[in-house]
Order: sequence, then C-alpha cells, then structure tokens
Amino acid sequence: MLSRHAEDLFWAGRYLERAEDTARMLDVTYHGLLEGGSSDSEGAWRTLLEALQLAHPFYATHPQVSPRAVAEYLVTDVAQPSSIVAAIARARENARNVREHLSTELWEALNSCFLELRARDLPGELATQPHELYRDIRTRCHAIAGAAAETMARADPWRFLLLGRLIERAEMTCRMLRVRAQRRETRASFHDFLLVLNSVSALEAYTRAHGADIDPARVIAFLLLSPDFPRSVLYCVRAADGVLEQLEGGVPTVRPRRALGRIRAELEYQDADELRAYGERSVLDRAQAGIWEVAELVEESFFASGPTPQRHIFGSP
Amino acid sequence: MPRDRLPGYQRAAGFDEAVHESLEVRSHYAAVFEELERLDARELASREKLRDAIFRRLGITFAVYGDSSGAERTWPMDLVPRILPASEWNAIERGIAQRIRALNLFLDDLYVGERAALRDGIVPAWLVYSSEGFVREAVGLPAPHGARCVVAGIDLVRGEDGVFRVLEDNLRTPSGISYVLQNRAALTRVLPRLSARHRIRPVHHYGSSLLAALQSLAPRESAGGPRVVVLTPGIWNSAYFEHAFLAQQMGAELCEGRDLVVEDLVVYMRTTRGLERVDVIYRRVDDAFVDPALFRADSVLGVPGLVCALRAGNVAIANSLGCGVADDKAIYPFVPALVRYYLGEEPILPNVETYLLWDEDQRDAALARLDQLVVKPVAASGGYGIVMGPQATAEQLEICRKEIEADPRGFIAQELVQLSTHPTFVDGRLEPRHIDLRPFALTGTRTEVFPGGLTRVALRRGSYVVNSSQGGGSKDTWILEEGLD
Repeated sequence: MLSRHAEDLFWAGRYLERAEDTARMLDVTYHGLLEGGSSDSEGAWRTLLEALQLAHPFYATHPQVSPRAVAEYLVTDVAQPSSIVAAIARARENARNVREHLSTELWEALNSCFLELRARDLPGELATQPHELYRDIRTRCHAIAGAAAETMARADPWRFLLLGRLIERAEMTCRMLRVRAQRRETRASFHDFLLVLNSVSALEAYTRAHGADIDPARVIAFLLLSPDFPRSVLYCVRAADGVLEQLEGGVPTVRPRRALGRIRAELEYQDADELRAYGERSVLDRAQAGIWEVAELVEESFFASGPTPQRHIFGSP
Repeated sequence: MPRDRLPGYQRAAGFDEAVHESLEVRSHYAAVFEELERLDARELASREKLRDAIFRRLGITFAVYGDSSGAERTWPMDLVPRILPASEWNAIERGIAQRIRALNLFLDDLYVGERAALRDGIVPAWLVYSSEGFVREAVGLPAPHGARCVVAGIDLVRGEDGVFRVLEDNLRTPSGISYVLQNRAALTRVLPRLSARHRIRPVHHYGSSLLAALQSLAPRESAGGPRVVVLTPGIWNSAYFEHAFLAQQMGAELCEGRDLVVEDLVVYMRTTRGLERVDVIYRRVDDAFVDPALFRADSVLGVPGLVCALRAGNVAIANSLGCGVADDKAIYPFVPALVRYYLGEEPILPNVETYLLWDEDQRDAALARLDQLVVKPVAASGGYGIVMGPQATAEQLEICRKEIEADPRGFIAQELVQLSTHPTFVDGRLEPRHIDLRPFALTGTRTEVFPGGLTRVALRRGSYVVNSSQGGGSKDTWILEEGLD
C-alpha cells in the first residue's frame, strides 16, 4: 500500500489509543480521589500529568494544578495535541486521508465520535459528571476498535492501524508504570496500585492470577510481563511483532522486528522476583526506549520509500 | 388508484417534469406521489432527519470555496426523485453517446491526427489555437482506442417545449457521479416503499465499468491486471469525497502527487514495499497542475516528468491532457457540425442557441439584448462568472458589455432557457424548483452512458443556479425499465 496511507493509518491507531488511555487514566484518578484513598489531590493530578509526560507543558501555561484545569487540559484543550478532543480530531483527519482503505462502519464510528464530541458541552460535563463522559469516550473508542476488528479485512491497512495502537498502548503502559515505580521507592500505597490496575481494566485479570493481594511489585510485573493480558507491555510487543510478520510479501520488516525482538527477549526471560529485587526502573527505561526505537524504525522502513521528490527538474530555483 | 392532482402544488410557468399543464400528475409519477402522500408532516420531518444523518455519518459533504465559516456542508438531496421513462431516456442515451464519439474523434484529430476538421473549415483553426484548453504539449501524445475523454459529464436542460438540450459539455474532470450512487443508496434507505413500486435501472456498477474502461488503456500486459491509481489534488479539494469513493469502488490506490515518482520515464508509486509501477492514472487534477516540470512549476499537486512518461507510452492517463479544448464554450456552438462531419449523422441532442461574440454581427445582436441573455466566460466551470441578463442590474450589464468588447473570444451569450421545474420539498411542502440533468458517459473500447445521472436543483424559488458550490441541491434520478412507462 501507499507509504503515506500506511503512515496515516499508523497514526490514526496511535491517536485513538491515546484518546482512550487518557480517558481511562483521568477516570481512575478522579474516582480514586472520590473513594478517598488518598488525601493528596494535587499529588494525584500531578502524577497523572507526569505519567502522560505533560507536566512541563502544563506548568508552562497553567500557574497551578487544579482538578478542573488538568481535566480541561487533557480533554478539551484543542491547542494541546494529546488532549482527547485533539487526538480524536487527528485520528479522524488521518482516517479521512485514507477513507478508501477503511470499512464504512469504521469510518462512521470514528466520524460520529468526532461529531458528537464536538457537539457536546464538554466543560459542562467535566464539571458535573466527568465519570459519565470518560466512560462514554472509552465506550466510543471500543466501538471504533470493534468496528475495525469486525469489518476490516486482515490486510495491510488493518495491520498498520493495529500496529499504531499496539505501539502507543505499550508506551502508555510503560509510562504509567515508570511514574508509579518512581513513587514506589518513596511511598508505595495499596490504593495507588489498585488505581493502576483499574485504569487498564486489569483488576479482574490480576485478581484471578494473584488473588486480592495488591502488591506493588506484583502489579508492575503483571502489567509488564503478563503474556495473556492485552494491555501488558509484553503482550503488546509480541502482538506488534506478529503484525509485522504478517505484512504482505517483500516488506522491509527486518529492522523494526530486530528492535522488537530485543525488548521481547528481555521481557520474556525476565524473572518476577529478580525484577522486584533489583528494581523495575532500568527494565522499564529500556522497554520504553526500545518502543521509541521501534516506532522510529517503522517510520524509516515503511513510510519513507523511494527517492526524495524532485520538484524542480528543469533548473528552476 | 393513481391520483391525478397534487394537492396544494402551485405549478410554475414552463415545463413541469411531474405535472401536466392540466395539473394532472404525469403517469410515471403517480405511484411516487401516492406514497409521499402517506407521509404526514411529522413523518416527513423524521425522514429528512434520517437522510441528513446518513449523509453526515458517511461524511458526504462538500466544500464551498470562499466560505470561511463552514468548511463542509452535508449534501442536500431532495426526497422527491426525478423520474424519466425509458422512451425519453433512450433518446438521451443515444444522443450523448453520439456526441461523445464525435468529441473524441475531434480530440484525436487535433492531437494525433491531421486536423481535418480545421482544414475543412468545420471549426475555425484560430479558435482552437486560442483556446486555453488546447495543450500544445499534448500534441502527439497517444490515447488507446482514441479514448481521450474517458469520463464525460454532459449538462442537459429541458425548456418550455419539453425538449432536452445540451447546455455544456464537461470533458476535463467532471464530478458528481459519486452523488448519483449515494443518492440512490440514501433514498432507498430513507423511503424504501418508494422505489419498491418501480423497476429502476441500477447504477451501482459504475465502479467496475470505470475500472474496465481505465484498464483498457493500459500500455502493457501485466500479471494480475494493470495497476490503476486515482490522482487527487488532496483532501481540501471540493470533490475529494468523490475521489476517495471512486478509488474505493475500484479497489485502486488514491494517490497525491507526492505519492508518485517518475524514474527512467516510468511512473511508480511509493509503497510500504518500495516503488511499484503504475499503468493507468485516473487523474482529477487539472491539466496545468499535472506536471510541474512542464506546466506550472509551483504545482505541488502533480508529478514531475509525468508528460515524458506519457509520451514514452509507459503510462496512460484519463482524461487525456488537453480535453478542455473540446468543452471550451467557444467551440461548443460547433459541436453539432462536428457530429455531422465525423459521424455523418444528424445530432440527436440539440444545443442551446448561442451567440459567437467574436463575430461582429452576432455580437451586435447579442449586445442589443444583453438583458435577455446569459453570458458565460468560455473557460470557467461550476457556474462561476455567469451573468444572467434578466436578473442583472444595469451596472452589472454595463461591466459585462465592456468585458465582452475587450475580449470577445472570452465569452459566449446564450438564450435563457426556462429550465423545467420539479416538485421539491421546501419546508415540508411541495413547490416547483428548477432542475437540470448531468448524465455521465464512460469511454474505453466503447462508450457507455450511465442510466440517469445527477439531477441538480436550484433550491431558491425562481433561481436557475443549480451548482452545488452555489447552494444547489440534488435529486435521485430514476430511469424506468423498458415497458413500464
């Protein structure tokens, strides 16, 4: 398929995942505070900003952290490229560029999500019923993902869309775990890690595997290493590798797959007890750096084929 | 029981497509109005809402140039379909096929032939050579089976006398066919009972016919069939939706200029697997932007080196470069003569009476009654630059007169055709609105005219302006199967 289209699909996948994950994290932060586990409201919102690596840009435009300011920054701020509204708008813009590669159902789901968010009074809803809004966004993102999964042929357009989602998701999980691991070294809290599990819908899966004992090290190990849970880093990395393997014949997949393989090997041969004993930081750092490298290699290998366009042939300046 | 009157419908002067002068409903419309009658105001409003939701969800919108407020508007389709019985359509179909055959012969004659029509005085040579649409760089470029204008849209209007006339030919990059297909799909969903009572000639095979016509142009045999791509100016073009739709219908890649590259006189596209060869380009980019190496160097929409690849015969393009000379409005008055000249047949579809303003006598005659005529710039399309005499102010007419006197080759004047009207929903009531018809024809190894076409509606009362870029609407257009008139 066209390089430009593959790139648009890849980024549509990334933006969709970013919107969904942001809504998830906002929801659990808000809920965690409501349920009263932590009295440090400001700290919880700051953690969220740090997890999303948006703390610096946030402080550049906002004097202080308030629940309202953070929520608006992450949901409705169109000037903030990672806000939910901006991410959905970009996903839709990218999808519009490749409209002919999408199933009608997928386009309709994405377009109606965009139109509805634009029509709604989001600041009002954030003030009165944020949970409903976050749940709605998540449900709509699932509807989009569902439409894609159920109606797109398993061909390259589907694969690039999926690849974008998996890479974004792996990175998001990594980011969130890094912030928590950092905190853990100072003040671990049962409640914090309950939130972490909740934010990726992993509480049930974790409890089934490990019982109701919310042990920070075990939570980190689970979300990093679980081979079965679809939001764990290892799961995403393996799935991304599977997608690359299936790309249609003759595609230059060697370099991104080599980088993925390195992360995979480190995580697959990781021992949960060792991880606990030596600290998770270095493993998480390497995993995140590895995922960045994969994203770059995907760009280089698939999106930049052929010579640079020669716009002026006959000696015009 | 077929009904004979439309209650409350105020028929306008002129030809009404659905209602006789006696106010009786034409028989081929009886069933449709019987069904529409069943809808009360609430039901009608809810169907219109459903229609809007369908178009909005599908993203069927169009851009309006020079309108900064809303970049996109939903496609306005009226719920009353326009119906033509087979007997009427058959003549239109033959007339358009005949016209396209003659125009393609004319184009081939100009670009690769001996210019016989100029030599024999059918069309003045200076008119051709002074046409903006005549592309010197295209002289000698091959076109398989003489299919230069592969996709054509011919605008027809029906006057007071009930006769269909050709208002203009669109031979460059005519748009609108996607709306034909979507109107049909939408109306079938919104008012299923309406179409259930008729046998309507289908249009959904357009994509496969277009692909077949394009593939027939391919310069080489290749395993798995020739590779066809659609070349679009990009997402901001007003017809982008259509470009994407057609690419999807054909299973072809939708390319922008930056996706294509010419190396060693061969066109390739940049893919995730590296460069892949392209055989046929269905381009929706204007001539002047197609190849920045040869035409406008500032164009980022085109592919540098494309014309050299065409000349080498390594790739085919549709429509060919330079088709615009044949739809130049100053050439238009000669098309009936071209039909006689190339085909030895009488033209089936007449032209609208036209004044050649470079001819002194005709110019004087036209200037004397400018307030009754329609003046059009010869090279524009989309309704831009048109002056409607009866509605223009004295000042506008004076400006128009000066422009004509300064550049008589640049304009034509035509008799104002009292466009036929059609019952159309306006705020829940049926009112007459002026309409036209743009059927589409495909030419590969032969010419195929698609049943129906795009019916455009001037939504303002009394207005004759049907262009969607200027606030026009549309109707699903039905051609009834033979024997059901």
